[in-house]
Amino acid sequence: MSQPRSSYAIGTGLFIVLGFAALAYLATQTTSVANVHQGASYTLDARFANIGQLKERAPVKIAGVRIGQVQSITLLPGQEVADVTLSIDQRYNKIPQDSIATIFTSGLLGDQYIGIQYGTAKQLVAPGGTLVFTKPAQQLEEMLGKFFGAGGIADNLGGTYTVTARFTNVGTLAAGAPVKMAGVPIGSVQSVHADPLKLDADVTLAIDKRYNQIPDDSAAAVFTSGLIGTQYVAIQPGGSPDALKQGDEMILTQSAMQLEDLIGKFLVNGSPADKQAAGSVPASSSTARKH
Amino acid sequence: MNARRWGGSNVVTQTLAQIGACGLFLLTLLAAVPRSFQYFRETSRQLWFVGAMSLTIIMVCGLFVGMVLMLQLYHVLSIFGGTSASGMVVALSVYRELGPVVTALLFAGRAGTAITAEIGLMRATDQIAAMEMMAVDPIAYVATPRFLAGVAAMPLLCCVFCAMAVFGGHLVGVTWLGIDNGTFWSNMTAQVDLRTDIINGVLLKSLAFGAVVTLIAVYQGFATAATSEGVAHATTRTVVASSIAILALDFVLTAFLM
Repeated sequence: MSQPRSSYAIGTGLFIVLGFAALAYLATQTTSVANVHQGASYTLDARFANIGQLKERAPVKIAGVRIGQVQSITLLPGQEVADVTLSIDQRYNKIPQDSIATIFTSGLLGDQYIGIQYGTAKQLVAPGGTLVFTKPAQQLEEMLGKFFGAGGIADNLGGTYTVTARFTNVGTLAAGAPVKMAGVPIGSVQSVHADPLKLDADVTLAIDKRYNQIPDDSAAAVFTSGLIGTQYVAIQPGGSPDALKQGDEMILTQSAMQLEDLIGKFLVNGSPADKQAAGSVPASSSTARKH
Repeated sequence: MNARRWGGSNVVTQTLAQIGACGLFLLTLLAAVPRSFQYFRETSRQLWFVGAMSLTIIMVCGLFVGMVLMLQLYHVLSIFGGTSASGMVVALSVYRELGPVVTALLFAGRAGTAITAEIGLMRATDQIAAMEMMAVDPIAYVATPRFLAGVAAMPLLCCVFCAMAVFGGHLVGVTWLGIDNGTFWSNMTAQVDLRTDIINGVLLKSLAFGAVVTLIAVYQGFATAATSEGVAHATTRTVVASSIAILALDFVLTAFLM
Protein backbone atom coordinates (compact mmCIF):
# COMPACT_ATOMS: atom_id res chain seq x y z
CA MET A 1 0.00 0.00 0.00
CA SER A 2 2.28 2.76 -1.19
CA GLN A 3 -0.32 5.25 -2.44
CA PRO A 4 0.69 8.90 -2.19
CA ARG A 5 -0.87 10.39 0.93
CA SER A 6 -3.05 13.03 -0.70
CA SER A 7 -4.82 10.50 -2.93
CA TYR A 8 -6.01 8.30 -0.08
CA ALA A 9 -6.83 11.33 2.05
CA ILE A 10 -9.18 12.60 -0.66
CA GLY A 11 -10.59 9.11 -1.24
CA THR A 12 -11.23 8.59 2.46
CA GLY A 13 -12.79 12.01 2.83
CA LEU A 14 -15.03 11.35 -0.14
CA PHE A 15 -16.02 7.98 1.33
CA ILE A 16 -16.93 9.48 4.72
CA VAL A 17 -18.92 12.32 3.15
CA LEU A 18 -20.75 9.88 0.87
CA GLY A 19 -21.51 7.53 3.78
CA PHE A 20 -23.00 10.29 5.91
CA ALA A 21 -24.88 11.72 2.94
CA ALA A 22 -26.44 8.28 2.39
CA LEU A 23 -27.36 8.07 6.08
CA ALA A 24 -28.97 11.52 5.98
CA TYR A 25 -30.86 10.54 2.84
CA LEU A 26 -32.18 7.31 4.40
CA ALA A 27 -33.13 9.05 7.63
CA THR A 28 -34.92 12.05 6.13
CA GLN A 29 -36.26 10.97 2.76
CA THR A 30 -37.44 7.41 3.35
CA THR A 31 -38.68 7.42 6.96
CA SER A 32 -41.70 8.76 8.75
CA VAL A 33 -39.54 11.62 10.05
CA ALA A 34 -40.42 13.38 6.81
CA ASN A 35 -44.09 12.96 7.67
CA VAL A 36 -44.14 14.02 11.26
CA HIS A 37 -44.72 17.71 11.16
CA GLN A 38 -43.13 19.11 14.28
CA GLY A 39 -44.81 22.52 14.09
CA ALA A 40 -47.23 23.94 16.61
CA SER A 41 -50.26 21.76 17.15
CA TYR A 42 -53.28 21.53 19.40
CA THR A 43 -55.28 18.55 20.62
CA LEU A 44 -58.90 17.55 20.21
CA ASP A 45 -60.76 14.65 21.78
CA ALA A 46 -63.13 12.36 19.95
CA ARG A 47 -64.96 9.38 21.40
CA PHE A 48 -65.74 6.39 19.25
CA ALA A 49 -67.89 3.35 19.94
CA ASN A 50 -65.40 1.27 17.95
CA ILE A 51 -62.00 2.25 16.59
CA GLY A 52 -61.40 -0.91 14.53
CA GLN A 53 -57.72 -1.13 13.59
CA LEU A 54 -56.95 2.55 14.22
CA LYS A 55 -53.43 2.99 15.62
CA GLU A 56 -51.51 5.78 17.29
CA ARG A 57 -49.84 8.11 14.75
CA ALA A 58 -52.54 7.29 12.20
CA PRO A 59 -53.28 10.34 10.03
CA VAL A 60 -56.14 12.77 10.60
CA LYS A 61 -57.46 14.15 7.33
CA ILE A 62 -59.83 16.81 6.07
CA ALA A 63 -60.93 16.41 2.45
CA GLY A 64 -58.24 13.74 2.16
CA VAL A 65 -55.43 16.13 3.18
CA ARG A 66 -53.37 15.24 6.24
CA ILE A 67 -53.79 17.84 9.00
CA GLY A 68 -52.49 15.92 12.02
CA GLN A 69 -52.23 12.53 13.66
CA VAL A 70 -53.72 10.37 16.39
CA GLN A 71 -51.85 11.08 19.61
CA SER A 72 -53.31 8.46 21.95
CA ILE A 73 -56.06 5.89 22.18
CA THR A 74 -57.40 4.93 25.59
CA LEU A 75 -60.37 2.98 26.82
CA LEU A 76 -61.97 4.71 29.78
CA PRO A 77 -62.51 2.01 32.45
CA GLY A 78 -66.18 1.34 33.00
CA GLN A 79 -67.17 2.99 29.71
CA GLU A 80 -67.66 1.28 26.40
CA VAL A 81 -66.14 4.07 24.33
CA ALA A 82 -62.61 4.60 23.07
CA ASP A 83 -61.20 8.05 23.82
CA VAL A 84 -59.02 9.17 20.90
CA THR A 85 -56.83 12.27 21.25
CA LEU A 86 -56.02 13.99 17.96
CA SER A 87 -53.00 16.22 17.52
CA ILE A 88 -53.85 18.76 14.81
CA ASP A 89 -51.64 21.34 13.10
CA GLN A 90 -52.14 24.85 14.49
CA ARG A 91 -52.81 26.18 10.98
CA TYR A 92 -56.05 24.22 10.81
CA ASN A 93 -57.76 25.66 13.88
CA LYS A 94 -61.05 26.70 12.30
CA ILE A 95 -62.97 23.46 12.67
CA PRO A 96 -66.71 24.03 13.26
CA GLN A 97 -68.09 22.58 16.47
CA ASP A 98 -70.58 20.28 14.75
CA SER A 99 -67.96 18.64 12.51
CA ILE A 100 -68.13 14.87 12.24
CA ALA A 101 -65.10 12.64 12.92
CA THR A 102 -65.31 9.32 11.07
CA ILE A 103 -62.92 6.35 10.98
CA PHE A 104 -62.24 5.44 7.37
CA THR A 105 -60.12 2.73 5.78
CA SER A 106 -57.71 3.50 2.93
CA GLY A 107 -58.88 1.07 0.30
CA LEU A 108 -60.12 -2.39 1.15
CA LEU A 109 -57.06 -3.61 3.05
CA GLY A 110 -55.34 -0.35 3.95
CA ASP A 111 -54.67 1.34 7.27
CA GLN A 112 -57.39 3.23 9.03
CA TYR A 113 -57.44 7.00 9.49
CA ILE A 114 -59.75 9.65 10.91
CA GLY A 115 -61.57 11.88 8.45
CA ILE A 116 -63.19 15.11 9.64
CA GLN A 117 -66.14 16.49 7.72
CA TYR A 118 -66.85 20.17 8.37
CA GLY A 119 -70.20 21.07 9.91
CA THR A 120 -72.07 24.31 9.39
CA ALA A 121 -72.01 25.81 12.91
CA LYS A 122 -70.48 29.27 13.35
CA GLN A 123 -68.88 28.24 16.64
CA LEU A 124 -65.45 26.68 16.36
CA VAL A 125 -64.24 23.78 18.47
CA ALA A 126 -61.71 25.10 21.02
CA PRO A 127 -58.23 23.56 21.40
CA GLY A 128 -58.51 20.74 23.92
CA GLY A 129 -62.22 20.45 23.17
CA THR A 130 -64.21 17.45 22.05
CA LEU A 131 -65.68 16.58 18.69
CA VAL A 132 -69.15 15.45 19.72
CA PHE A 133 -70.23 13.84 16.47
CA THR A 134 -68.33 10.67 15.57
CA LYS A 135 -68.91 7.64 13.40
CA PRO A 136 -67.20 4.41 14.51
CA ALA A 137 -65.18 2.08 12.30
CA GLN A 138 -67.28 -0.28 10.24
CA GLN A 139 -66.69 -3.92 11.06
CA LEU A 140 -66.69 -6.05 7.95
CA GLU A 141 -68.47 -8.83 9.86
CA GLU A 142 -71.24 -6.50 10.96
CA MET A 143 -71.72 -5.18 7.45
CA LEU A 144 -71.76 -8.68 6.00
CA GLY A 145 -73.99 -9.78 8.88
CA LYS A 146 -76.52 -7.03 8.20
CA PHE A 147 -76.36 -7.78 4.53
CA PHE A 148 -77.15 -11.43 5.08
CA GLY A 149 -79.66 -10.74 7.85
CA ALA A 150 -77.47 -12.41 10.45
CA GLY A 151 -76.51 -9.45 12.59
CA GLY A 152 -78.01 -10.81 15.81
CA ILE A 153 -75.77 -12.00 18.61
CA ALA A 154 -76.72 -15.58 19.24
CA ASP A 155 -74.97 -18.18 21.33
CA ASN A 156 -73.50 -18.61 24.79
CA LEU A 157 -71.01 -17.46 27.46
CA GLY A 158 -67.78 -16.32 29.36
CA GLY A 159 -66.14 -15.41 32.71
CA THR A 160 -63.78 -12.82 34.31
CA TYR A 161 -60.15 -12.38 34.66
CA THR A 162 -60.32 -15.35 33.36
CA VAL A 163 -63.73 -15.82 31.83
CA THR A 164 -64.82 -18.57 29.46
CA ALA A 165 -66.94 -18.48 26.34
CA ARG A 166 -68.33 -21.23 24.14
CA PHE A 167 -68.43 -20.90 20.39
CA THR A 168 -69.88 -23.30 17.86
CA ASN A 169 -67.10 -22.20 15.52
CA VAL A 170 -63.95 -20.24 16.36
CA GLY A 171 -62.63 -20.11 12.80
CA THR A 172 -58.84 -19.76 13.01
CA LEU A 173 -58.86 -18.19 16.51
CA ALA A 174 -55.74 -19.26 18.41
CA ALA A 175 -54.39 -18.84 21.94
CA GLY A 176 -52.77 -15.41 22.26
CA ALA A 177 -55.25 -13.64 19.98
CA PRO A 178 -56.40 -10.27 21.34
CA VAL A 179 -59.66 -9.66 23.19
CA LYS A 180 -61.04 -6.24 22.28
CA MET A 181 -63.77 -3.97 23.53
CA ALA A 182 -64.75 -1.00 21.34
CA GLY A 183 -61.76 -1.98 19.22
CA VAL A 184 -59.21 -1.50 22.04
CA PRO A 185 -57.29 -4.59 23.25
CA ILE A 186 -58.20 -5.41 26.86
CA GLY A 187 -56.86 -8.96 27.16
CA SER A 188 -55.99 -12.08 25.25
CA VAL A 189 -57.24 -15.57 24.50
CA GLN A 190 -55.67 -17.96 27.00
CA SER A 191 -56.73 -21.28 25.51
CA VAL A 192 -58.98 -22.79 22.88
CA HIS A 193 -60.19 -26.34 23.49
CA ALA A 194 -62.76 -28.53 21.81
CA ASP A 195 -65.31 -29.82 24.32
CA PRO A 196 -65.59 -33.60 23.81
CA LEU A 197 -69.18 -33.75 25.16
CA LYS A 198 -70.85 -30.58 23.92
CA LEU A 199 -68.91 -30.67 20.67
CA ASP A 200 -68.21 -26.96 20.64
CA ALA A 201 -65.14 -24.80 21.32
CA ASP A 202 -64.37 -23.79 24.90
CA VAL A 203 -62.38 -20.53 24.84
CA THR A 204 -60.76 -19.05 27.94
CA LEU A 205 -60.28 -15.26 27.86
CA ALA A 206 -57.81 -13.48 30.15
CA ILE A 207 -59.03 -9.89 30.64
CA ASP A 208 -57.09 -7.05 32.21
CA LYS A 209 -58.15 -6.39 35.84
CA ARG A 210 -58.60 -2.68 35.03
CA TYR A 211 -61.65 -3.55 32.98
CA ASN A 212 -63.66 -5.13 35.77
CA GLN A 213 -66.86 -3.24 35.04
CA ILE A 214 -67.90 -5.27 32.00
CA PRO A 215 -71.63 -6.12 32.35
CA ASP A 216 -72.22 -9.85 32.82
CA ASP A 217 -74.63 -9.99 29.89
CA SER A 218 -71.96 -8.75 27.45
CA ALA A 219 -71.53 -10.71 24.26
CA ALA A 220 -68.33 -12.22 22.86
CA ALA A 221 -67.90 -12.49 19.12
CA VAL A 222 -65.11 -13.84 16.92
CA PHE A 223 -64.21 -11.14 14.39
CA THR A 224 -61.57 -10.87 11.70
CA SER A 225 -59.22 -7.89 11.36
CA GLY A 226 -59.97 -6.68 7.87
CA LEU A 227 -60.66 -9.04 5.01
CA ILE A 228 -57.70 -11.40 5.38
CA GLY A 229 -56.45 -10.47 8.88
CA THR A 230 -56.14 -12.58 12.01
CA GLN A 231 -59.12 -13.33 14.18
CA TYR A 232 -59.84 -11.84 17.60
CA VAL A 233 -62.59 -11.88 20.22
CA ALA A 234 -64.68 -8.71 20.43
CA ILE A 235 -66.68 -8.03 23.58
CA GLN A 236 -69.88 -6.07 23.06
CA PRO A 237 -71.04 -4.63 26.39
CA GLY A 238 -74.51 -5.46 27.64
CA GLY A 239 -76.74 -3.50 29.99
CA SER A 240 -76.69 -5.57 33.18
CA PRO A 241 -75.79 -3.78 36.45
CA ASP A 242 -73.64 -6.76 37.55
CA ALA A 243 -70.04 -7.04 36.33
CA LEU A 244 -68.28 -10.13 35.02
CA LYS A 245 -66.22 -11.94 37.67
CA GLN A 246 -63.35 -14.44 37.66
CA GLY A 247 -64.52 -17.78 36.30
CA ASP A 248 -67.81 -16.52 34.86
CA GLU A 249 -69.02 -17.80 31.54
CA MET A 250 -70.20 -15.41 28.84
CA ILE A 251 -73.59 -16.64 27.73
CA LEU A 252 -73.96 -14.64 24.56
CA THR A 253 -71.45 -15.50 21.87
CA GLN A 254 -71.29 -15.10 18.16
CA SER A 255 -69.23 -17.60 16.23
CA ALA A 256 -66.74 -16.84 13.52
CA MET A 257 -68.37 -16.22 10.19
CA GLN A 258 -67.07 -18.35 7.42
CA LEU A 259 -66.70 -16.20 4.37
CA GLU A 260 -67.15 -19.32 2.26
CA ASP A 261 -70.48 -20.08 3.96
CA LEU A 262 -71.79 -16.56 3.49
CA ILE A 263 -70.75 -16.30 -0.10
CA GLY A 264 -71.89 -19.86 -0.73
CA LYS A 265 -75.38 -19.09 0.61
CA PHE A 266 -75.53 -15.92 -1.38
CA LEU A 267 -74.55 -17.66 -4.58
CA VAL A 268 -76.87 -20.66 -4.26
CA ASN A 269 -79.91 -18.76 -3.01
CA GLY A 270 -81.45 -19.00 -6.47
CA SER A 271 -81.68 -22.80 -6.54
CA PRO A 272 -84.80 -24.19 -4.77
CA ALA A 273 -82.99 -27.07 -3.06
CA ASP A 274 -80.63 -24.78 -1.25
CA LYS A 275 -83.17 -22.12 -0.44
CA GLN A 276 -84.46 -24.03 2.56
CA ALA A 277 -81.00 -24.56 4.00
CA ALA A 278 -80.02 -20.98 3.37
CA GLY A 279 -83.08 -19.66 5.16
CA SER A 280 -82.31 -21.47 8.45
CA VAL A 281 -80.47 -19.48 11.15
CA PRO A 282 -77.53 -18.28 9.08
CA ALA A 283 -75.57 -16.89 12.08
CA SER A 284 -74.92 -20.07 14.00
CA SER A 285 -75.00 -22.55 11.16
CA SER A 286 -71.48 -23.83 10.73
CA THR A 287 -72.22 -26.64 8.34
CA ALA A 288 -69.58 -26.18 5.74
CA ARG A 289 -70.80 -25.81 2.24
CA LYS A 290 -67.55 -24.93 0.59
CA HIS A 291 -67.28 -24.01 -3.03
CA MET B 1 -2.06 -17.29 19.51
CA ASN B 2 -1.93 -20.70 17.86
CA ALA B 3 -5.26 -22.31 18.57
CA ARG B 4 -4.36 -25.62 16.95
CA ARG B 5 -1.62 -26.10 19.50
CA TRP B 6 -4.14 -25.79 22.39
CA GLY B 7 -7.03 -27.59 20.78
CA GLY B 8 -5.43 -30.95 20.00
CA SER B 9 -6.79 -32.96 17.09
CA ASN B 10 -10.49 -33.06 18.07
CA VAL B 11 -12.63 -30.84 15.78
CA VAL B 12 -14.91 -29.65 18.58
CA THR B 13 -12.14 -28.67 20.98
CA GLN B 14 -10.25 -27.08 18.10
CA THR B 15 -13.26 -24.94 17.19
CA LEU B 16 -13.74 -23.97 20.84
CA ALA B 17 -10.07 -23.11 21.11
CA GLN B 18 -10.37 -20.94 17.97
CA ILE B 19 -13.34 -19.06 19.42
CA GLY B 20 -11.59 -18.63 22.76
CA ALA B 21 -8.36 -17.44 21.18
CA CYS B 22 -10.36 -15.02 19.02
CA GLY B 23 -12.07 -13.62 22.13
CA LEU B 24 -8.75 -13.20 23.94
CA PHE B 25 -7.37 -11.52 20.83
CA LEU B 26 -10.24 -9.01 20.94
CA LEU B 27 -9.16 -8.04 24.47
CA THR B 28 -5.52 -7.48 23.38
CA LEU B 29 -6.85 -5.49 20.43
CA LEU B 30 -9.00 -3.24 22.62
CA ALA B 31 -6.20 -2.81 25.17
CA ALA B 32 -3.99 -1.54 22.33
CA VAL B 33 -6.53 1.13 21.21
CA PRO B 34 -4.95 3.99 23.29
CA ARG B 35 -1.46 3.06 22.03
CA SER B 36 -2.64 2.95 18.41
CA PHE B 37 -3.67 6.62 18.47
CA GLN B 38 -0.04 7.54 17.72
CA TYR B 39 -0.47 5.65 14.44
CA PHE B 40 -3.48 7.70 13.39
CA ARG B 41 -2.22 8.05 9.85
CA GLU B 42 -2.14 4.26 9.52
CA THR B 43 -5.78 4.08 10.70
CA SER B 44 -6.92 6.63 8.12
CA ARG B 45 -4.97 4.79 5.41
CA GLN B 46 -6.79 1.59 6.38
CA LEU B 47 -10.11 3.45 6.31
CA TRP B 48 -9.31 4.44 2.75
CA PHE B 49 -8.41 0.84 1.88
CA VAL B 50 -11.33 -1.04 3.50
CA GLY B 51 -13.89 1.75 3.10
CA ALA B 52 -13.34 3.93 0.09
CA MET B 53 -11.95 1.10 -2.03
CA SER B 54 -15.04 -1.06 -1.27
CA LEU B 55 -17.46 1.61 -2.49
CA THR B 56 -17.65 0.38 -6.07
CA ILE B 57 -18.64 -3.20 -5.25
CA ILE B 58 -21.06 -2.03 -2.51
CA MET B 59 -22.79 0.50 -4.77
CA VAL B 60 -23.14 -1.84 -7.74
CA CYS B 61 -24.39 -4.73 -5.58
CA GLY B 62 -26.81 -2.46 -3.70
CA LEU B 63 -28.27 -1.21 -6.95
CA PHE B 64 -28.85 -4.73 -8.27
CA VAL B 65 -30.26 -6.05 -4.98
CA GLY B 66 -32.82 -3.22 -4.97
CA MET B 67 -33.68 -3.79 -8.62
CA VAL B 68 -34.18 -7.56 -8.37
CA LEU B 69 -36.11 -7.24 -5.12
CA MET B 70 -38.51 -4.79 -6.72
CA LEU B 71 -38.93 -7.02 -9.77
CA GLN B 72 -39.79 -10.05 -7.62
CA LEU B 73 -42.10 -8.16 -5.27
CA TYR B 74 -43.92 -6.49 -8.11
CA HIS B 75 -44.90 -9.83 -9.63
CA VAL B 76 -45.93 -11.35 -6.30
CA LEU B 77 -47.84 -8.28 -5.09
CA SER B 78 -49.62 -7.80 -8.41
CA ILE B 79 -51.50 -11.05 -7.62
CA PHE B 80 -53.13 -9.24 -4.69
CA GLY B 81 -53.31 -5.86 -6.39
CA GLY B 82 -50.87 -4.46 -3.86
CA THR B 83 -48.06 -3.27 -6.12
CA SER B 84 -48.15 0.18 -4.55
CA ALA B 85 -46.72 -1.35 -1.36
CA SER B 86 -43.69 -2.82 -3.12
CA GLY B 87 -41.47 0.25 -2.55
CA MET B 88 -42.20 0.06 1.14
CA VAL B 89 -41.42 -3.66 1.25
CA VAL B 90 -38.14 -3.12 -0.63
CA ALA B 91 -37.11 -0.40 1.84
CA LEU B 92 -38.08 -2.41 4.93
CA SER B 93 -36.42 -5.65 3.84
CA VAL B 94 -33.24 -3.85 2.78
CA TYR B 95 -32.98 -1.75 5.95
CA ARG B 96 -33.76 -4.54 8.37
CA GLU B 97 -32.02 -7.54 6.86
CA LEU B 98 -30.53 -7.48 3.38
CA GLY B 99 -28.57 -4.24 3.68
CA PRO B 100 -26.47 -5.07 6.75
CA VAL B 101 -26.10 -8.79 5.90
CA VAL B 102 -25.17 -8.48 2.22
CA THR B 103 -22.87 -5.53 2.91
CA ALA B 104 -21.12 -7.54 5.64
CA LEU B 105 -20.73 -10.60 3.37
CA LEU B 106 -19.30 -8.46 0.58
CA PHE B 107 -17.11 -6.66 3.09
CA ALA B 108 -15.75 -10.00 4.36
CA GLY B 109 -14.93 -11.03 0.79
CA ARG B 110 -13.53 -7.69 -0.32
CA ALA B 111 -11.75 -6.31 2.77
CA GLY B 112 -11.57 -9.21 5.26
CA THR B 113 -9.59 -11.49 2.95
CA ALA B 114 -7.21 -8.68 2.01
CA ILE B 115 -6.53 -7.94 5.69
CA THR B 116 -5.88 -11.63 6.47
CA ALA B 117 -3.61 -12.12 3.46
CA GLU B 118 -1.67 -8.94 4.14
CA ILE B 119 -1.04 -9.73 7.82
CA GLY B 120 -0.35 -13.40 7.02
CA LEU B 121 2.29 -12.41 4.46
CA MET B 122 3.76 -9.95 6.96
CA ARG B 123 4.19 -12.89 9.30
CA ALA B 124 5.48 -15.22 6.58
CA THR B 125 8.13 -12.67 5.58
CA ASP B 126 9.05 -11.96 9.24
CA GLN B 127 7.92 -8.31 9.08
CA ILE B 128 5.99 -8.73 12.34
CA ALA B 129 9.10 -10.10 14.06
CA ALA B 130 11.11 -7.18 12.66
CA MET B 131 8.61 -4.70 14.14
CA GLU B 132 8.99 -6.31 17.55
CA MET B 133 12.77 -6.01 17.18
CA MET B 134 12.35 -2.27 16.53
CA ALA B 135 10.14 -1.97 19.65
CA VAL B 136 7.05 -1.22 17.49
CA ASP B 137 4.02 -3.01 18.95
CA PRO B 138 2.55 -4.99 15.99
CA ILE B 139 -0.88 -5.14 17.68
CA ALA B 140 -1.03 -1.35 18.04
CA TYR B 141 0.50 -0.66 14.61
CA VAL B 142 -0.97 -3.44 12.42
CA ALA B 143 -4.02 -4.98 14.11
CA THR B 144 -5.87 -2.17 15.90
CA PRO B 145 -5.84 0.39 13.03
CA ARG B 146 -7.39 -2.22 10.72
CA PHE B 147 -9.96 -3.18 13.32
CA LEU B 148 -10.97 0.43 14.02
CA ALA B 149 -11.12 1.24 10.31
CA GLY B 150 -13.37 -1.78 9.66
CA VAL B 151 -15.74 -0.90 12.51
CA ALA B 152 -16.00 2.69 11.26
CA ALA B 153 -16.35 1.80 7.58
CA MET B 154 -19.14 -0.83 7.80
CA PRO B 155 -22.04 1.45 8.89
CA LEU B 156 -21.12 3.99 6.22
CA LEU B 157 -20.88 1.29 3.54
CA CYS B 158 -24.22 -0.14 4.69
CA CYS B 159 -25.89 3.29 4.39
CA VAL B 160 -24.54 3.62 0.85
CA PHE B 161 -25.77 0.09 0.05
CA CYS B 162 -29.28 0.83 1.34
CA ALA B 163 -29.51 4.16 -0.49
CA MET B 164 -28.45 2.46 -3.72
CA ALA B 165 -30.98 -0.35 -3.15
CA VAL B 166 -33.81 2.16 -2.72
CA PHE B 167 -32.59 3.94 -5.85
CA GLY B 168 -32.53 0.61 -7.72
CA GLY B 169 -36.04 -0.21 -6.51
CA HIS B 170 -37.21 3.21 -7.67
CA LEU B 171 -35.53 2.71 -11.03
CA VAL B 172 -37.28 -0.61 -11.70
CA GLY B 173 -40.56 0.12 -9.94
CA VAL B 174 -41.28 3.66 -11.06
CA THR B 175 -39.47 4.14 -14.35
CA TRP B 176 -39.84 0.61 -15.72
CA LEU B 177 -42.90 -1.07 -14.16
CA GLY B 178 -44.90 2.11 -13.82
CA ILE B 179 -45.69 2.35 -10.11
CA ASP B 180 -46.78 5.88 -9.28
CA ASN B 181 -43.87 7.97 -8.02
CA GLY B 182 -45.86 9.65 -5.25
CA THR B 183 -47.33 6.35 -4.01
CA PHE B 184 -43.87 4.79 -3.99
CA TRP B 185 -42.45 7.44 -1.65
CA SER B 186 -45.51 8.05 0.53
CA ASN B 187 -45.99 4.35 1.27
CA MET B 188 -42.32 4.10 2.15
CA THR B 189 -42.20 7.14 4.40
CA ALA B 190 -45.41 6.06 6.13
CA GLN B 191 -44.01 2.70 7.22
CA VAL B 192 -40.25 3.15 7.70
CA ASP B 193 -39.42 4.22 11.24
CA LEU B 194 -36.22 6.09 12.06
CA ARG B 195 -35.49 4.28 15.33
CA THR B 196 -36.46 0.67 14.61
CA ASP B 197 -35.42 0.54 10.96
CA ILE B 198 -32.57 2.98 10.39
CA ILE B 199 -30.85 3.08 13.79
CA ASN B 200 -31.55 -0.47 15.02
CA GLY B 201 -31.53 -2.05 11.59
CA VAL B 202 -28.97 -0.31 9.42
CA LEU B 203 -26.56 1.28 11.88
CA LEU B 204 -26.48 -1.07 14.90
CA LYS B 205 -26.37 -4.27 12.88
CA SER B 206 -23.68 -3.07 10.48
CA LEU B 207 -21.58 -1.80 13.40
CA ALA B 208 -21.73 -5.27 15.01
CA PHE B 209 -21.01 -7.02 11.70
CA GLY B 210 -18.08 -4.70 10.98
CA ALA B 211 -16.55 -5.50 14.37
CA VAL B 212 -17.02 -9.26 13.91
CA VAL B 213 -15.72 -9.42 10.33
CA THR B 214 -12.58 -7.34 10.95
CA LEU B 215 -11.88 -9.14 14.25
CA ILE B 216 -11.97 -12.51 12.47
CA ALA B 217 -9.87 -11.20 9.56
CA VAL B 218 -7.17 -9.67 11.77
CA TYR B 219 -7.13 -12.69 14.10
CA GLN B 220 -6.78 -15.17 11.22
CA GLY B 221 -3.91 -13.08 9.84
CA PHE B 222 -2.05 -13.25 13.13
CA ALA B 223 -2.91 -16.91 13.82
CA THR B 224 -1.85 -18.24 10.43
CA ALA B 225 1.02 -20.60 9.96
CA ALA B 226 3.87 -18.50 8.53
CA THR B 227 3.94 -20.26 5.14
CA SER B 228 2.29 -19.52 1.78
CA GLU B 229 -0.01 -22.51 2.31
CA GLY B 230 -0.91 -21.22 5.78
CA VAL B 231 -1.87 -17.81 4.33
CA ALA B 232 -4.13 -19.50 1.77
CA HIS B 233 -5.89 -21.51 4.51
CA ALA B 234 -6.24 -18.47 6.76
CA THR B 235 -7.87 -16.46 3.96
CA THR B 236 -10.38 -19.25 3.33
CA ARG B 237 -11.12 -19.54 7.05
CA THR B 238 -11.75 -15.77 7.23
CA VAL B 239 -14.52 -15.97 4.63
CA VAL B 240 -16.10 -19.12 6.10
CA ALA B 241 -15.96 -17.98 9.72
CA SER B 242 -17.14 -14.44 8.87
CA SER B 243 -20.12 -15.67 6.86
CA ILE B 244 -21.26 -18.03 9.62
CA ALA B 245 -20.71 -15.37 12.29
CA ILE B 246 -22.62 -12.71 10.30
CA LEU B 247 -25.68 -14.89 9.69
CA ALA B 248 -25.77 -16.28 13.24
CA LEU B 249 -25.30 -12.84 14.78
CA ASP B 250 -27.98 -11.46 12.44
CA PHE B 251 -30.51 -13.90 13.88
CA VAL B 252 -29.55 -13.03 17.46
CA LEU B 253 -29.66 -9.27 16.81
CA THR B 254 -33.00 -9.48 15.00
CA ALA B 255 -34.47 -11.50 17.87
CA PHE B 256 -33.33 -8.91 20.40
CA LEU B 257 -33.95 -5.71 18.45
CA MET B 258 -37.36 -6.42 16.96
